[in-house]
Amino acid sequence: MEHIVELKGVSKHFKDFSLENINLNIKKGCVTGFIGANGAGKSTTMKLMMNLLQPDEGEIKVFGLDYASCGREIKDRLGFVYDSNVFYEGLHLKDIRRIIAPAYKNWSDKQFYNYIQKFELPLNKAVKTFSKGMQMKASLAMALSHEAEFILMDEPTAGLDPVFRRELLDILQDIMADGSRTLFFSTHITSDLERIADYITFIQKGNILFNDSLEGIQKQYALIKGDPALLDPDTEKNFIKIEHSSDMFQALTNDAGKIKELFGNQVMIEEATLEDIMFYVKGANHQYV
Amino acid sequence: MFNLIKKDVIIQKAQILLFIPLIMFFAIFAKHVSPAFIFFVASTFIPLNAYIYDERVESNILLNSLPYTRKEIVAARYLGAIVYMLCSIGAAGIILLVFNYEYMLRDIAIAAGLFFLFTAFAFPLFYILKPGYIGMVVLISIIALAAVMPPVIRFLAKHLTSITEFLTSLSMTTIYFSSAGIAIGLYLLSWLFSQFIYQRKAF
Repeated sequence: MEHIVELKGVSKHFKDFSLENINLNIKKGCVTGFIGANGAGKSTTMKLMMNLLQPDEGEIKVFGLDYASCGREIKDRLGFVYDSNVFYEGLHLKDIRRIIAPAYKNWSDKQFYNYIQKFELPLNKAVKTFSKGMQMKASLAMALSHEAEFILMDEPTAGLDPVFRRELLDILQDIMADGSRTLFFSTHITSDLERIADYITFIQKGNILFNDSLEGIQKQYALIKGDPALLDPDTEKNFIKIEHSSDMFQALTNDAGKIKELFGNQVMIEEATLEDIMFYVKGANHQYV
Repeated sequence: MFNLIKKDVIIQKAQILLFIPLIMFFAIFAKHVSPAFIFFVASTFIPLNAYIYDERVESNILLNSLPYTRKEIVAARYLGAIVYMLCSIGAAGIILLVFNYEYMLRDIAIAAGLFFLFTAFAFPLFYILKPGYIGMVVLISIIALAAVMPPVIRFLAKHLTSITEFLTSLSMTTIYFSSAGIAIGLYLLSWLFSQFIYQRKAF
């Protein structure tokens, strides 16, 4: 499968935080969810993809092109939705259109006004009066109006009410329907991803822990509950993290098949949600990947 | 690039409407003010205002997410400033004419020279400083200038005769051309410097 974004050995160092040797491919035509705790490096990775930050080491390619020689072409084909408003806040949407539209080769006013109508956005109201959801829709309308092939969204669902979040996910599903777009979005509301994501990228403390299909993850990971007597140093190795209560242990494994073989019906095997995975991996004593 | 320059007008629609009454105010009430000063204020009005808008991190994220290179963003700033300077001086010239406020071509030349000097120093500062610090720096510079200027003026007054003697020994054209050369040279240097800084900036 073709890759829209390739990060090879990318490192970026800050005073108190580093991204170390990131290797990541984003598959074309898919929705990839980018999860990780606050401060894990999600925004930094996205800024690197947008060339708002330059890597200290490594190579970043978008559409197979690099920013040094094809920066403009890349951005022409790319749409962005940030977690905060980046539009001049005193301006009306119609003025923002006048600034943004001429920047793109493939801009379509027809599309723009279609989406404005569909998203019920006011054209003659200052952006600063928009709710978070409206600002997000406005960014999305801009991205869709220039036929972006790849849309990057940084925490688009954060701060949205549940009804609106549903609506947004429907919109995203809708825009993915024709298969020509690729969507990469970071979130810590993992239930959103279980609805629409094809792939999940999980980052922790500046390292990519996995980048797999949602289906694969759901097969591989499982929550195990059982009698603590079953545990010994050997069997414990199969778990990422084990939690003990008085008469039971609960643990996460990334090898559900092996656990079935080992314990059979002696333990309860439940499907692990992304939230379970995030929670257990955060507390893991050892780096398991 | 043209779009980036045009953007400043779209953003400042309301402020540009203020521009005309401001010059009219000068023309009516400030009869003793040097016309060169009025032209200078007029010429810096739009470029400086544009900077105040674009200083915000969010604006930089927006501009850098659009299909523009960083070189273009800086170039638009410097070229745009010249375009707006010329337009503003033209508009101010017409307003002053309408109000019978006398001025000479020399006043415009001095204002344009001052504009190049001022922006050559001010623009890189905007790129170096973190957003939100500009106001403080301007305030400190004004206080520092107020402290430094009187002794400088006293010094100049003392040695003025030798300075004026030197200047009068040069022909008027030499003075005009050499000061224009210095001002534009500084402006170009400042452009290169800003470009160097902006390319390394992280948002």
